[in-house]
Amino acid sequence: MDPIDPSTLPALPAPFWFVQFFKVLGFTLHMVPMNLWYAGLVVAMVLHLRGSDQARRFSARLMTQMPVIIALGINFGIVPLLFVQLAYYRAFYPATILMAWPWLAIIGLLIPAYYRVYIYAFALRAEGDRIRPLKRAAGWCAAVCFIAIGFLFANGWSLMGYPEAWKGLWLSHSTGGAARGTALNLADPSLWPRWLLMFGLALTTSAVWLRIDAAWFADKEDSHYKQWAAGSALKLYTLGMIWFAAAGAWYIFGTDLHTTLLEGWLLGLTAVTALAPGLPWLLLWIGRTQESSRTTAALIGLAQSGVLGANAISRQVVQNLNLRGFLDVAAQPVDVQWSPLIAFLALFLVGLGVIGWMIAQVMQSPAIAREESGA
Amino acid sequence: MHYPWWHVPHLTAPMLIAAISVVHVLVSHYAVGGGLFLVVEAGYAYRRQNRPYLDYLKRHARFFVLLTVVFGAVTGVGIWWTIGLASPLATQVLIRTFVFGWAIEWVFFIVEITAAFIFYYYWGRLSEKTHLKIGWIYALSAWISLVLITGITAFMLNPGGWREGDGFWAAFFNPQFIPQTISRTGGALLLSSLYVYLHASLTIRDSAMRDLIARRSARPALLGAIMVTVGGIAWYTFLPELAQAVLVRAAALNVLMGLIFALTVAVFVLLYLGPYRNPGWLSPGFALTLFLFGLAAFSAGEFVREAVRKPYIIYGLVLGNQVLKDEVYGTEDAPGLRQTGYLEGGIWTKKFVEEHYPDAVTDGQIDEKRLLQLPPRDRIALGEVLFQYHCNNCHAIRQGYSAVGPLVRGRSPEMIRSVMEHLHEAHFFMPPWAGTPEEAELVTEFLTDIAPPRPAGMFPETALAETN
Repeated sequence: MDPIDPSTLPALPAPFWFVQFFKVLGFTLHMVPMNLWYAGLVVAMVLHLRGSDQARRFSARLMTQMPVIIALGINFGIVPLLFVQLAYYRAFYPATILMAWPWLAIIGLLIPAYYRVYIYAFALRAEGDRIRPLKRAAGWCAAVCFIAIGFLFANGWSLMGYPEAWKGLWLSHSTGGAARGTALNLADPSLWPRWLLMFGLALTTSAVWLRIDAAWFADKEDSHYKQWAAGSALKLYTLGMIWFAAAGAWYIFGTDLHTTLLEGWLLGLTAVTALAPGLPWLLLWIGRTQESSRTTAALIGLAQSGVLGANAISRQVVQNLNLRGFLDVAAQPVDVQWSPLIAFLALFLVGLGVIGWMIAQVMQSPAIAREESGA
Repeated sequence: MHYPWWHVPHLTAPMLIAAISVVHVLVSHYAVGGGLFLVVEAGYAYRRQNRPYLDYLKRHARFFVLLTVVFGAVTGVGIWWTIGLASPLATQVLIRTFVFGWAIEWVFFIVEITAAFIFYYYWGRLSEKTHLKIGWIYALSAWISLVLITGITAFMLNPGGWREGDGFWAAFFNPQFIPQTISRTGGALLLSSLYVYLHASLTIRDSAMRDLIARRSARPALLGAIMVTVGGIAWYTFLPELAQAVLVRAAALNVLMGLIFALTVAVFVLLYLGPYRNPGWLSPGFALTLFLFGLAAFSAGEFVREAVRKPYIIYGLVLGNQVLKDEVYGTEDAPGLRQTGYLEGGIWTKKFVEEHYPDAVTDGQIDEKRLLQLPPRDRIALGEVLFQYHCNNCHAIRQGYSAVGPLVRGRSPEMIRSVMEHLHEAHFFMPPWAGTPEEAELVTEFLTDIAPPRPAGMFPETALAETN
């Protein structure tokens, strides 16, 4: 489809690199908590059902933390959503309008899923490990909802990068030339591996969180739990890494992406993205039999941030590659809004400072409070 | 036109925005006023070492977090979702103009959420001083979020003399900014007191405690009601002339304005006679009545605020049917849609013609004359396409929100055609017809086809009456 004439629109208020930087940074930040609800919720539910005492303990810990994790994840998701609409509107709007009802269903699924997580978390506090079946079911429902949300997001983002499909979907899902909003991008060969790839990545992030939580926040837990956490984090990470590798191979070799991603400088980026999980895995393997120190856990967390960051950069590159035959997103006119941009950056730093101060107050509070809050 | 139009049967897509927005503001204003309530009252309770009141405030904070952080935050994201789906052109113009306004709002939002969680989860674990500081950080961040969003939504209603290139600040500090900031701040104070009354009346058995809450929240509520009134008067004063005319002209809006006035007076009187003078009146029934009155006034106010923008989405810039104002009549450099044709000017409408009627396309351009030579069913089908992209923004088809079928019932094709070609002259709150005369003919044929037959008892058409 032809893009609309950009001359009718106001110019980009920031340089394109700035928009991409914050889009990628925002998505990386979003992925951390999002991974925890995407795969972590299922892991928590399975561990509660079939796990050892320590596994059930971790399940309870994660589910108690989950309301805060979800709030942060939603908040961090706003940044990439804002910047994708700023620079990629010509692809974002048509794609999401074609699948408007499923896209809107994300909100419809998110609200009850979030409340179900709260029901489960409050039940854990009130009833301990022996949660009533109905409240346990709430946890399972939330996990299923979040996986469904992931599928719908995978649809939206893949359709955005697949303009070839728009016309066919529009013609088969329209009334009087208007979109019915009922299409899904099911024929796109990249959809399924894309969805599964994120789940694999989410398993690895959940594994890293298991290790970080044990080192930083589980002051009340005994050394058995912390040793279990070290070993289990490695196992879970290994599972996630294998999943990630399998889905990643499907994603690249099952589509025509290998023709571009495995050539020139992109080969380097693809290799870094594919191999990046090796570093956190190695660190987890080295510390598999010991209670990890906070420094080690922080290093593993940092390495996993690199994994997520590399993934976010690769996704951005693939998005640009998919769209390049239809529109040149980098060629938009720019008229920088300097004073609002500076105000944003300044307030961003102030905001980080204020949040840092609040967290410092929390860290100085008695440990029992941190345990109960899930922080 | 620039984007595929999303057809939502019966309701129309923009009404989804209205539905989600109204629900959202009922919670988001509480998120602002409720934060202020919690920190001010916690400070009061700490000073007096009133433990039962602190216990109640902690319970209220839990309710507050559950409602605002979950429902309030996600419905806020839901507004983003729906405006992108139902008003993509207006959304992209707003984002291009205000991206850093939203980015700054995001910064305050994350500070807000962090503070809300710490304020609730660490209740009793932090020093009183630190606890209150975090409460104030929340309250201030939430209010600044309100101010930032108000600047953007106020711009949609009256950008003043803003023109592209005037920049962010000129757009942000528009004529509606201060009136709406006053009324929304007042609304936050008022609404939060109504939430508090409802919550307290349902959860507190101790009448002395209920009296204390009733009395202490009455003043902010009354102040809020006054601010809503003052802001509302200023809002009307700084409306563009056309919006004022829309407000006077539309019967439904007249009724809603009357309702808002009556409900505001009723809430004010009930607040004064009840919690302010007779705190003991705060029963669940009384609190629920106040709450419902407040909600009804607020919802009606939001609906009116949206409705008076007609025929624009962004006043003077983007029309309701997803067309830039300048695209209709064109500029010196580019012909307008009235010359080139609405079907030709839209990516998706043109694609529709190319796909279904390739013979009507010559040298890559739609030949409008050929469209009129198509069989009647095809002309009606093209009329429907034009209707969807030009009119479905405000009108359902046969049944539903402002359905056009009943509106044209009993009108002759000549009358429909005449109205189509002179839309904004026939009704000043309608956008101008943005197509060619041939396209007006196609829409006329579609509307004639869907119009129900003249109902029994209706006067016959003039021509028919004169021949009898």
